[in-house]
This record gives sequence, C-alpha cells and structure tokens, in this order.
Amino acid sequence: MWSRKSAMLGSLAVAMYLLGLTLRNSQLVTIAVVIFVFLTWAALFGGHADVAASGRRAEEWTGEEGVSLSNVSAMRKLSSARIFEDGEVGVTLRMQNHSALGKILEVKDRVPEVMRIKDGANYILMELGPRRETFIEYTVECPLRGFYSLGPVAVRVQDPFGLFHKEKELHVYNDFLVFPKMEDLKDTFVKSKVPKIFTGAVNIRQPGPGSEFYSLREYFEGDSFRAINWSAYARSGKLMVNERERDAVSDIILIVDSRAVSETGPVSRNALVYSTRAAASLAQYFLGRRDSVGLITYGDEVVSVDRDTGKKQLYVILTKLAGAMARGNIPLQVVVNRILPHINKGSPIIVLSNLEDDPTVVSALRDFRARNFDVTVLSPSSLEFEFDAKRLDRTGYEVLKTERDVLISELRGLGVNIMDWEPDMLLSTALAGARGF
Amino acid sequence: MAAKSGDTAHLYDGKTVRSSAPSRKKLAAKGNASADIPKDAIPTVEIPSFVESLLGGPLVPKMKFLPADKMVQNLQLGCYGVLIALGILTYIVTPAVGTIWFAITGSMAVANILQLMVVAGAIGTGFWGTMTRDARFMLASYVLFILSVMRFASSKVSLSQDLFGFGDSQFLLTILVVVYAVLLVMYFELSNGVIRFSMLDTSIRTREVYVMNVKKIIGKYHRSLVINPLIAGSLAMLVLSVNTILPAFISLFSEQTALRMEESVELISVYGVALGTLFVFLVVGALFALDLPTHLQSWRENKD
Repeated sequence: MWSRKSAMLGSLAVAMYLLGLTLRNSQLVTIAVVIFVFLTWAALFGGHADVAASGRRAEEWTGEEGVSLSNVSAMRKLSSARIFEDGEVGVTLRMQNHSALGKILEVKDRVPEVMRIKDGANYILMELGPRRETFIEYTVECPLRGFYSLGPVAVRVQDPFGLFHKEKELHVYNDFLVFPKMEDLKDTFVKSKVPKIFTGAVNIRQPGPGSEFYSLREYFEGDSFRAINWSAYARSGKLMVNERERDAVSDIILIVDSRAVSETGPVSRNALVYSTRAAASLAQYFLGRRDSVGLITYGDEVVSVDRDTGKKQLYVILTKLAGAMARGNIPLQVVVNRILPHINKGSPIIVLSNLEDDPTVVSALRDFRARNFDVTVLSPSSLEFEFDAKRLDRTGYEVLKTERDVLISELRGLGVNIMDWEPDMLLSTALAGARGF
Repeated sequence: MAAKSGDTAHLYDGKTVRSSAPSRKKLAAKGNASADIPKDAIPTVEIPSFVESLLGGPLVPKMKFLPADKMVQNLQLGCYGVLIALGILTYIVTPAVGTIWFAITGSMAVANILQLMVVAGAIGTGFWGTMTRDARFMLASYVLFILSVMRFASSKVSLSQDLFGFGDSQFLLTILVVVYAVLLVMYFELSNGVIRFSMLDTSIRTREVYVMNVKKIIGKYHRSLVINPLIAGSLAMLVLSVNTILPAFISLFSEQTALRMEESVELISVYGVALGTLFVFLVVGALFALDLPTHLQSWRENKD
C-alpha cells in the first residue's frame, strides 16, 4: 500500500518529468527518474517498520496485508480472566514468523482505552528472525468494571523509508471481566450496636439455632450434649451450654439505578461506579452471612437476578454488576410495580440511586413503605462529582443541592433510611449514616 | 510489593475518556434542559493531517520532541553534509539563464543574485528546519530547491561554474546531474528521517513504544541509506545514458542507423532521456502489472 509520503513523491516525480519535458530541462527529468527508481526499489524490497512514517495509526487498518505478513501469527494468554477493579492482568503475546525471511515488524496489541499499561508495552517495534517466535509481556491495570476484550493485534511492515507498507490485523481476542471492587463491611457491622440491622428487628440478637456464639447459660434437661461448654463446666463446676445466635436468613433486595443519568460526572467517579461497588460489597456481606440476595438493575431495561445464596450467587451478581451500562431512563415506579408481587413482605430493600431525573421516586418508595418494607436508600450525589470536576458552578450547585435536600427530607419523612452519599465517604460510613448511627 | 491505591482518579489525568452523561451545568445556571456533552468528556484524538503526513510527521509538532538521541544527531549531521553538497551542486547545475527571474528582469546580474538567494534560502531554511526539527522549514527548503531547478534549459545541461571542466564531457555532465538528483532525494529522506526518528525516539523514551533489537533496526535503515542512493544513481545513469546505449545496441544490426541515431538531435536532447525513461518504466510497469513483486516476495518467504 502506498503511504502518503510515497504518493507525494510519486506525484512530484510525474510533475517534474512532465515539466522537464515542457521546459526541456534534463535536471528535472533526472530528479524524476531518481525518485521513480527510489519508489520502485522500495516497492520491490520492503522489510522495515516504524511508528511515524506512514502518518497513520496502527489502528487505521484498511485491509491490505500482502504476502509479507501472511506468515506472521499471534497468540495471547492472560494471567486471569476475572479480576476486580484496580486489579492487574498480565498479558503474554506470542508472535511467530513462519517465513524464511526475517522481518522488522511494528506490532500493536489493542487494549481497551480505559486501561493503563503498567509494565512493559503493547506497542513494539521488533526484529523477528526467520522461523522464529518472540514473547511480548505486559501488564494492564484495570481501573473500571466491565466486560473487556483484548485484541486484535495490528501488525505492520514497511520499507526502510516508509514509502510502502503492508498491514494486517490478526484477529486474536481474549475476553475478561472486571468486577466492581468491594469494601469489607464485616467489621463495621459486627461492631455496631445492632449488628444485623438489615435483617429486621425480630430476627436479630436472639438465641436460636445458628452458628455464631451468643452466650452461656446453665444446662437444662433436653439440651444437646454437644452444646455443653466443657471449659466453662471445669471453671464453674456447673454444666454450662453454649447458646448460639439465631441465624437471621433474610431476602435482601439490591436495586441499582443504571439509567443514563447515573453516569453523570467523571468516568471514574460517578453514581453508577459508586452504586455498583456498594452493591458488590453488600452482596458479599449478606451472602457471607448466608442471607439470600437478589439484584435488580434498571436503565433501559429491568434486569434481575433471582434471590439465592452462596458463592455462586455472588459471582452471578458481580457479573451482572460488571456489565451494568448507563443507558435509558426507566423510572423506579416501573421497577417497584414489577417486583412487588415477587418479594417477601418485610424484606430489606436497598436502593442505590442518585435519585435524579425520576419524578416517580417518592411514590415508588412510598409503595414500598406502605407494605412495610425496610427501605434503605444510598444516594451517591452526582452534584458533588460534577462540582468536584468543575463542571458545575457554585450557583447551580447550590440550587440543585437545595432541591436534592428537599427530596431527601421528603423521603426520610416516609420512613425511608436514606443517606446522601458524598464522594469521599466510605460505604460503611454511609450505611451507618442511613441507619441513623 | 507496592501497596495498591484505591483511588483510580490519577489514571485519568490528561487521559481521553469514552463519554459521559450530559452535564447539568447549563440546566443549573440557566434553567434549560440542555444535553450538551461536557467538552472535557469528548475524546481528543490527534491524527496527523494530510499535509502533515506527507512529511512523515506533524507540520506543527503537537508532541514536543525530547532532546535528540545519537541516532537523530547522526541523521542531522548527515543532513547538514548533504545540504552543503546539494547547495553547491544546485548552484553549479542551475545557472540563472532560463530561470523565471531572468525572464522577468531580463538582467543576468539580477537573475544571478535572485537565483543565489533562492539557493541560499533553501540551504538556510533546510539547516534551521533540521536543527530545530521543524517540518515547516524543511518544507520551505524543499520548495525552494525545486524552484531553483525550474528553468527553461533548451535541452542542454549548462553549468554556472565549471571549475573542473565537467562541461567538456557528456558522461561527466550526466554523472554530475545524477549526483545532484540523488543528493536532492537523499536530502528529502534524511530530513524526513530526522522528524520520523525524533518521533520514534520520543515514543520510546515516553514508553509508548518498546523496541526490540534497536541496533538491527537502525542498522537496516543505515544500510538502506547507503544502498538505495547507489542503486538509484546507477539505474538513473543507465536510464539517462539511453542515447549511447540504444545506438550501441542498434549498431549490432545496422551501423548506419546507429550512426544516424547517435547524431540525432532528438535522442541526445531531453526527449531522448525521456524516451529512455519511458522505456525503462514501461518495462517496470509491466512487471508490476504481472504482480512480480508479490511472486518475488512469495518465493523469498517460502524458500527453505
């Protein structure tokens, strides 16, 4: 393929040739001849590559690969197919030259734009000998959740002067998943006065069949021998039994707002990012407590994960959260109407939303409260994100903040546990704030 | 092991992002429901413009080059050398007779001064452009060099200075013109190389690109810088000597025709050169039409 440089030289040579004939100037014709020879030689024997010569990025492949690249192949291996935000993936790209000719190649392994190359490089200029292979290793840092794909591998070969080049895309793709990162909520909850606050007032801090130690009491007839605390017996001389805390298995419903407006703010700091991280942390916490957790995300459609328990459920929830895209504008009322018939009365419901551009928020949450659901709303404040990013002036911020405060007060009046979640606040702090601690 | 930072905001410093939801700045300040995308959320992709890419790099460099490394410095030195030689040769092979300034002013002295100024300007801008690695000055230098050779020459190669008696021999004269043409093309390439390799070097040092076996890659470029001009010069000599080669070939069949051809005004003029060029490149064109480069490449790729 002709580069722009060769096209310019070719045009110049033709112009000089014709002008030379017109002006009867053999110098002009001679220059034209030398340029023609240069171009011909380069077209016949190419074998070098460099980054800047063609004036085109490696991404702008147009499809002419030629023979010289037909014997080049690539394979890729990832260190992990599932990681959490801020995690790293090690990539090993294996480039093979099956031909009898050594090649100087420009190779670019395409990496999603939001990722950062931490070690090594994905853009390499290399000399690959005949029938040789080489390994390119680099590490990418993945700061944002989502489904990502590495590839294709763009390969370019050029003549030494960058006059002609051949390009090829090797369609080698590797998918991987970045889960939202999670905050450890365990300590916060255990240390709080009412640890299992989300499971409802009836079920918590009561002795009963369970796994967590609650207290010691004297042995009564009928108690299981397995419950006897022999150490306590040795100390006190009385038969003492361990009482365990009643396991409070509940249905927890997490509702994540993934409407377009939830992505207001910088890419790494917006309501959706915070909401998904919070939902992941809560799911991990509750599932670790053997509660049953369900997830609903709503944006351009309502996507739900049925309530279930266990590690598999955590994986399912994390996968759904990783894929949550900010799209659409479905109101919360639609979600409430859809799920109300399917959830157990009194189930704790945690809504993660910035509460913006949705006139149905008040009526939807009122419907929940009217049926005695324990509703907690964590509302990451998009206003703060925008104000911090200097996209909002002071006046606008104050006006919108006042409107938001009024809405929050109104919801609080309905008995909703709500917290205006500011950007620098930890999730555990926000949760404690929502519950009035 | 380094501690992981939880805050990822630093990763986006100066980085292009995909998109963002509409800002509510206008909504807040003016009370309308504009859905404008904030300017800082729009990706800024810098791709060289058409004119920029003709030179192999940006005309107005957006990327500030790092100080030149040894490779670039060597290219710059080479460029200066070629520029001096080219300047002298340009002055010798492009006398003021037949130039546009001579046609306008009608004065040989004025035309000489103007021609000298054009050549000096070409050298000066070339020097400055190479030294500062500024493609704009290089472009100006190219234009001035081409301008200096634009003259009506009435088929004869004349010299402004003939200290070594080149004008007495047609062969030496042809060599002189070929050397001049090769130097001009080499100047284009070397100055271009200064920009290209500055960009590459900057990319390497900013870790955008990693280079394996740098010496081999640079060595190949250096070899090409020697081999290609030699080949271009030799082939050009062959093409330009058609007015002697063709009669010699014809003389195998007919001495008389060969003699007539040797004395033919057309063949020894620029039209003879053009005819030779046409012949050679018709053959080359035919080879390309038959896809010879691909076959040649296939053979080289697959041989044991």
